[in-house]
This record gives sequence, C-alpha cells and structure tokens, in this order.
Amino acid sequence: MTALRRPLALTLILLLILACFFAPFLWIVSNSFKPQLGIFSDVTPISWRTFLPLEPVLDNYRSLFERTNILRALLNTAIVSVGQVTLTLILCAMAAYALTRIKFRGSQVVFVVILLTFLLPVEAMLVPLFQVVSGLGLANSLLGVMIPWIASPFGLFLLKQAFEELPRDLEDAARIDGAGHVRTFFSIILPNVKVPLLTLGLVTFLFSWNSFLWPLVIAQNPDIQLIQVAIAQQGSPTQLPNWGETFAGATVATLPLILLFLVLQKYFTQGMAMSGIKG
Amino acid sequence: MAQVRLVDLGKTYDGASANTIKGLDLEVADGEFLVLVGPSGCGKSTTLRMIAGLEEPTAGEIWISDRRVDGLEPRERDIAMVFQNYALYPHMTVAQNMSFGLRLAKVPKAEIRQRVETAAETLGLRDYLNRHPKALSGGQRQRVAMGRAIVREPGVFLFDEPLSNLDAQLRGQMRTEIRRLHDRLSATTVYVTHDQVEAMTLADRVVVLKDGRIEQQGSPQELYDRPATRFVAGFLGSPQMNMLSGEVRQGALDLGGGSQLALSADRAAPLEGRKLDVGIRPEAFRLAAPEVAVIHGRAEMVELLGATSLVHFVHAGQACTALLEPSEAPRAGQPLHLGLSPDRISLFDADSGRAV
Repeated sequence: MTALRRPLALTLILLLILACFFAPFLWIVSNSFKPQLGIFSDVTPISWRTFLPLEPVLDNYRSLFERTNILRALLNTAIVSVGQVTLTLILCAMAAYALTRIKFRGSQVVFVVILLTFLLPVEAMLVPLFQVVSGLGLANSLLGVMIPWIASPFGLFLLKQAFEELPRDLEDAARIDGAGHVRTFFSIILPNVKVPLLTLGLVTFLFSWNSFLWPLVIAQNPDIQLIQVAIAQQGSPTQLPNWGETFAGATVATLPLILLFLVLQKYFTQGMAMSGIKG
Repeated sequence: MAQVRLVDLGKTYDGASANTIKGLDLEVADGEFLVLVGPSGCGKSTTLRMIAGLEEPTAGEIWISDRRVDGLEPRERDIAMVFQNYALYPHMTVAQNMSFGLRLAKVPKAEIRQRVETAAETLGLRDYLNRHPKALSGGQRQRVAMGRAIVREPGVFLFDEPLSNLDAQLRGQMRTEIRRLHDRLSATTVYVTHDQVEAMTLADRVVVLKDGRIEQQGSPQELYDRPATRFVAGFLGSPQMNMLSGEVRQGALDLGGGSQLALSADRAAPLEGRKLDVGIRPEAFRLAAPEVAVIHGRAEMVELLGATSLVHFVHAGQACTALLEPSEAPRAGQPLHLGLSPDRISLFDADSGRAV
C-alpha cells in the first residue's frame, strides 16, 4: 500500500508543479484568442474560462501582423540569435580549449577573472557597454545587439569542463596520427563535446531571443527592433496597451523557443547536468 | 625497420625538484622487443613519450635509425603508439579510427582500404570495421588501437601499458597476440609496463628503471636469475623473492634464527664479516629432513594454487614464502624444514643493495 501511495503522492506533486509552470503559458495563449474585453472579465474567479477561449477570435493576430512590424522583429531576432549562437560557440570553444590545454603562466587567473564577469549584473554594465558599442559605431545595428554577449563566461566554463573530461590521450593519438592543433580541435575535440556545444547553443539562443533590456537600449531604430522590445512597444505611449495583441505577440515569440526546446531538450538536460549549473 | 638510440637523455619537469629521467643511454636493436619496466613514477612512460615526441627532453638526444628525431613532430618520427586507455576516437568507426593517420598523410584511398582490411584481418576485426568503439569490448578496442598502429607501417612501435585496463584472462590472451604480432612483423618495439609478468613473457630484453635511471638490463632470464640489485630482485618474480638478513661468519652464511648455509671458500672469503641481504626465490626452497634442513619454522598459512602451493612462514622475524609441490606442502601450523642450495641464492650488500 505504501509503495503504491508514494508514486501517487509524487505524481500529484509533479502535477501541481507542472500546473504552476504551465498555467501562465496557457493563460497567455488563451488570451491571445480572446477579444480585449474578454481577457479581464475571465480572470476572476479562476475557472476553466480563464484558460480556455470559449469563442476564439483571430482578431489579435490579424491586427498584430497587419498593424505592427512583428515579422521584421522576428527576422531581426532570428538573425541576432543565430549570429550570437554561432559566434559564441566559436569564441568560447576556442578560448576554453586554449585555457584547458595550452599551459601558460597565469592561465588559472585568466580563467577566474573571466568567470568573475559572470557575477556582474547586466544592469551594472549597461552604461559602459552602451558607450563602448556606440564608440565602435555599432549602435542601432544588429551586430551591436549581439556583440557584447558572444564572449560568454558561462560558455567558457561549460566547455572548459567538457574539454577537461576528454582524455588527453585522444590529442596525443591525433598528434601521433599527424594532426596539428587546428585539425585536432576540429576533427577530434569538437565532435566529442557535441552535447555541451548544443547545450551552450540552446542556452545562448534562449538568452538572445528573450533579451529585452540591452536591445531596448542599443537598438532604438524601429527597423532593427527585436521581438521582445517590439511586443512591449506595440502600442503608442499615449494609448492603453492592446493586451490582446500583446498576448498574441508573446505567443508568436514563444513558439520558436518551445519547438527548439522540444527538439533539443535531451541535450539541454544532459549538458546542464554536466555543467553542474541549474538552468 | 629501425633502431632507436637514446643518448644521455634527461627530462626535468617545470617546478619539479628532481629529474624525472637522468642521463639515460639505451639502444634498441632493429626488430628487438624491448620492455621498459619499473614502479610508478620511475620515468618509463616519460621515456616512451619522449621517443614518441609527445614530451620534449630537457637533455640528450633521440635517434631513430640514422636520424636525430628530438625536435621533430611525432608524425615525422616513423613511430606508432598504442595507449593504455586505447585513445580511440569515440565518434569514428573502427575503420575510420584505423585510417585517420593515413588520410592525414594523404595516402591514396585504395591503399588505405587495403591496409585497413589487411590489419583488420590480422587482428580479427573484419566484422567490426563499421562499429564505433563504444560498441566493442575492451579486448577489441585494444586490437583496434593496435590496428591503428599497424596500418601506418611504422619503423618503431611504442606501447604504453596497453594491457593495464584488461582483466587477467584477456591480458594473458592479448600478451600472446602482441608477441605473435611482433614476431610476424619483426618490428622494433618499445613496450612500457609496470607488470613484471608482461615484461618477462614479452621481452627480448628487459630494462628495469628506478628513479629515472636504468637499474639493470638484460634478457628476462638473466634478470630473474642474476638480479644486479636488491630492487630488481624484489621487482621481478611473483611471488616476490624472499629477502633475509645475513652475515658471513667463518665461511658460512648466517641467516639468523640459528640457520647456517655453507658457502664455497672463494665465495665466502671476500664477504667475511659483511652485512648482507640474502635473496631467495620461493621456488629455491625444497622440503628437507630436519637434520639437513637449513631453515626450521612453522607453516603459518598455506595457499593451494592447484599446480603449486605457497607456504608462508616467518624466519628470524621476516615473512617468507616457499613454493612447494601441493603433495609435499605441510598444513598450516605444522613444522616446516627447508633445504636450500647455495648457488640458488642472491647476495646483496646490505647498505648499497648491489649484488656481491
């Protein structure tokens, strides 16, 4: 009896946790299909009406795509996210490999100093970053949005752990086989840290896709607005927010992430377990 | 094929107080199977890695055939190496693992295929060519590692404790295969191990290293029968050589506990009064009648090994082992009388540990 009760209790707890995480998503999606008035009239008392659009309408989506620049923002975000993932993977993998394998005096200090930057909140770096990126002439450009984050201390940490777990004999064997540093790195090392690379790619993509504050500051031109900023700014400052459109925008913005996560979640959880860091 | 010559080779690691390798002079003849053996930290793997080009020597020269190779990249040295943990590339198939070096060397595809197939045939890997290493057993992985070395047709094969990760039965099997392979290819081989059984069974010549220096080198039998130092005596042979304290008095060797062993006059005379360590192989003991026995004691424990029995006893406060026929071995607790022939003992100076 106890043996049966325990999994039942566990299942109930898990269901409760699932509901806590899932309910806001459901609420957002449901509201995106409701007319503006229906959104608030259904909030209380909480019932199935809160989470299900009884008379679904597509008006919010229609006006979102017709009235706002959402497609442009989606494209911008995709360019920034893919670019940021690519550059982060290249830079972090090479830096982590160098810090793991090339012996030089003070390498540990370099590593610790890089990790310390992990502790600085983005808000604290905003003004100096803005000055540097503007100084480089990259303000109001997609490159300016992604460039401060490609040297990711988290990425360095994650990949350094992965490289350290690879037996050094693999590199020795490659040297004996006649491979140089570059060949060894690309043909032997990288294919064997696929999971951490995918994890880092996914985390970077999530971070980049969801970023709001920095894109808001650095990309003020509406043509290069990113999705989260575009959703927040879809109404004009003098109007009340159009919540239906906001929920529709949030749904559109979340969809690619959910799809990506569903496809790659195996690697994501494996990689997180390896790094010893919670997502 | 090739010879290997190490001239006054030295290695000191950064920050290390002592040299890892000190003035090592060694020649490996063409086609010879040389085994470097010694305890952990004696510098045997470092020596091998210096020959391979994976470590830079801090002193001396390395020659392979008539080329000085220290300073050359591993690929330029005409060597191939087999690692302790196999070091197979996990993301490549067996065939890709074996051919990686050839592909880098831009060997024509047809020739690569032919060499890989020949090696796979030799090593019984034909059916596994498309498998990944994780789908292979330890023994098969080690064969792939050997295959990767063979296909390159190197002048010198280097083995770094290749059997350490295998279980005892497989180790014995692979030992035979390695020796058979060597005999077939007649390749110059330098083999590093800490396992004295491997050293004894595989080598044409054994080099015993201790603290970065050569302690003794010679054929396995030579080292076993005539160890030059107490260290070599203790290192080679399983069970270990018994070591008793002794002193020559009036032409006889006093082994303590009232035991005396008569020595020939010309052997005893120069040793008169010297403190000695007396090395006795367990199989040198034989059961004897109490009146003629040299050692008298009591069997403390008897291990039956099937073909032989190990009888443990204490003599003059030192634990000893005798290897006897199971039929003649006493039971634990019974009195034990052992005879000993003077020409089956090794004598070492008690202070320097060198044979006298």
